Amino acid sequence: MRAAGVVLISVALTCAVVGNAYYHKKQFYPSVVYITKSNPSMAIIYVQGLILVLMANTFLRKIFFGNLRAAEFEHLMEKLWYAVTETCLAFTVFRDDFSPKFVVLFTLLLFLKSFHWLAEDRVDFMERSPVITWLFHIRVASLLALLFSINLAMFNYAYNSTIAKGPSVQLVFGFEYALLITVVLNINIKYILHTIDLQRDSPWDNKPVYMLYTELIIGLMKVTLYIAFVAIMVRIYTLPLFAFRPMYFTMRNFKKAFHDIVMSRRAIRNMNTLYPNATPEELAAADNVCIICREEMVSASKKLPCNHIFHTSCLRSWFQRQQTCPTCRLNILRPTTTSQPSRQQQNQQPPPAPAAANPPPQSTPTPGAATQQAAPPPQFQIPTYWAHLTTPPTSQGLGNQQGQNSSTSQLPSGIVTGVPVFTHSFQPIIPLPPVPTPPPNLSNLTEEELRSMEGNLRAAVEARIETLQRVQLLLDAATAMMSQYQTAARSASINLPKSDTLLSQDDNKSTTSSMDNNRDSSSCISDFSMPSSTNGIADLRTSEVNEQLTPDSSSLLYSDRILRNNSLSSTPTPTPSTSSTGGIAPGELENLRQRRLVRDQSVD
Amino acid sequence: MAGSALRRLIAEYKQLMSNPPEGILAGPSTEENFFEWEALIVGPEGTCFEGGVFPAKLSFPADYPLSPPKMQFTCEMFHPNIYTDGRVCISILHAPGDDPMGYESSSERWSPVQSVEKILLSVVSMLAEPNDESGANVDAAKMWREDRKQFEKIADKLVRKSLGIPA
Ligand SMILES: [Zn+2]
Ligand SMILES: [Zn+2]
Repeated sequence: MRAAGVVLISVALTCAVVGNAYYHKKQFYPSVVYITKSNPSMAIIYVQGLILVLMANTFLRKIFFGNLRAAEFEHLMEKLWYAVTETCLAFTVFRDDFSPKFVVLFTLLLFLKSFHWLAEDRVDFMERSPVITWLFHIRVASLLALLFSINLAMFNYAYNSTIAKGPSVQLVFGFEYALLITVVLNINIKYILHTIDLQRDSPWDNKPVYMLYTELIIGLMKVTLYIAFVAIMVRIYTLPLFAFRPMYFTMRNFKKAFHDIVMSRRAIRNMNTLYPNATPEELAAADNVCIICREEMVSASKKLPCNHIFHTSCLRSWFQRQQTCPTCRLNILRPTTTSQPSRQQQNQQPPPAPAAANPPPQSTPTPGAATQQAAPPPQFQIPTYWAHLTTPPTSQGLGNQQGQNSSTSQLPSGIVTGVPVFTHSFQPIIPLPPVPTPPPNLSNLTEEELRSMEGNLRAAVEARIETLQRVQLLLDAATAMMSQYQTAARSASINLPKSDTLLSQDDNKSTTSSMDNNRDSSSCISDFSMPSSTNGIADLRTSEVNEQLTPDSSSLLYSDRILRNNSLSSTPTPTPSTSSTGGIAPGELENLRQRRLVRDQSVD
Repeated sequence: MAGSALRRLIAEYKQLMSNPPEGILAGPSTEENFFEWEALIVGPEGTCFEGGVFPAKLSFPADYPLSPPKMQFTCEMFHPNIYTDGRVCISILHAPGDDPMGYESSSERWSPVQSVEKILLSVVSMLAEPNDESGANVDAAKMWREDRKQFEKIADKLVRKSLGIPA
């Protein structure tokens, strides 16, 4: 309404100005000269022009986007703000080029940019929207084609004018349009990927991979453009400060995409080569739901070293973000990177190292080795990824067990963070973890033996590394033992009636309690990921009949509507309702109000 | 094929509908968009937020559950772990490697194991026990540490406001 008023006033003023000029001069040219000479007239003409452009913008937006969602509008405003401030910075470099033409070009650029942002939001929204209409496809496809050709034309224009007239502000425009071309490309690829995905009947496992590679390639193009632009600007003018913020973000995104690709490739390779497919029995034994997508696992599932099972495709997309087990956060990359060298080392036994660093295992029977011989190794010692690489240690000689030791205790992550075994079984007798051979007592070494560890020769370096590895083994064993003790202490205290925290979390399943095992349970105030107890709101329970306990997809939306109408208004005014779905029973608001009022009165 | 994010959100919504945790209500705010939810949280008993009903909105990324949703209270809040604009700052809502406060250990961070229900339960326990190390609202954290009486007074005012009772 107000906008219409502004438009009307502006049009009226423009008519008055033009009419007045024509009335005075009677002819076209003199009138134009008259208007351009008069500052107030020119101001009105400029305002009119701006309003016309805004109207055209709104009109085009309506055609291509319809009504904007609230989130889209927020994004638009936020980005517009940055774009305007950065261009104001750019003005300072090109003070001399400032002219009405510049303003027009800049406004055009801004509008084109805003359409790019909106198009990107729209295309991203495809992933979230259940229904994509034909209108949507027509709009997006035509808009993308239009934007691409405009960008190309404007880039061409900027390029030609720079070649013809030497460097000017057209450099910035050319660069901006080149960037916009990459943006359109990116949106286009995403649009095609989403469209293909929507046409399919089954989930498209490779889509995240394509998305990630697209990001990498587009990122590379953008980074190259920015570097070229800054280089040119530095040579001709000065440091283009206005380009630094977007350049920083572009580079960061590129680095992240690169890092993600490298890491996820590694994790996926590990998954494919090292981790076994889950057998049907394993799937039947677990509760069979993939924690990532919350859907049943029927086939194509992988078992991680920590015994957690997921869909292979779900894991693949998760590994693009993080290379850990989603449930227990066991690092997927670490086990193989450490176990590979140790395996090699095992194969080369005995290494060409001198005796000093490699005492014969039989000669130093440590108490730990004795324990190990007596008791069978505890379950957690043999992570699955190792178990299928070597034969079980019990049937082998001591020397081999030493190797086995070293390989398992070299995997601190498997022991310290991979706690799945602790969560299920509270063993009555917890066997001690084995203690590996300690490093040789250095004072017992002969001069020759010590000397053999000096120098840069391969043998010397290997000897030193081996000594260090032994130290590491000791540390790992100590850590493992410590966590064993903790588990023992915890499993002992769980029988006491007063410590009910663990019991009350039983319904959270092993997923959360496995995290709990890693943590000092008492001192964690910043831990909100696990509410210690929910009985604070327990008396909200009202015994009303739940009419729609398991809504299927069709009644889902229906109950959703009820939910929204009854209780989800942002100003919670209590309404009489018939639906009882949800965690806050109907009338509960009124109850809470009454209770508070009663309390107030008693206080008074 | 609809995205896996959408399917998981629908699954979580069904789960929340069939087995709602007490004191918590959450669901998509419109039928067209399952990625924007609204939630109502009842202040936990025995705390200064007791009995208040606080509305919030959750917005889910397209790659949910690989990335965490964002949560923002749509009513006025005064709490050490809630920004003045209502955004909630707790570790479960942050992906590892993205730590605005630099105090969270990665075991409490977002992972697909988490869910809307766990987030909301975490927020309830956050209301009960603020973590004054996090500086989402420095004034609130300071007041919580040094002037508990005043903090409770403000909280009480917010509770009344949320219930529509004049102070
Ligand atoms: Zn899955
Ligand atoms: Zn795991």
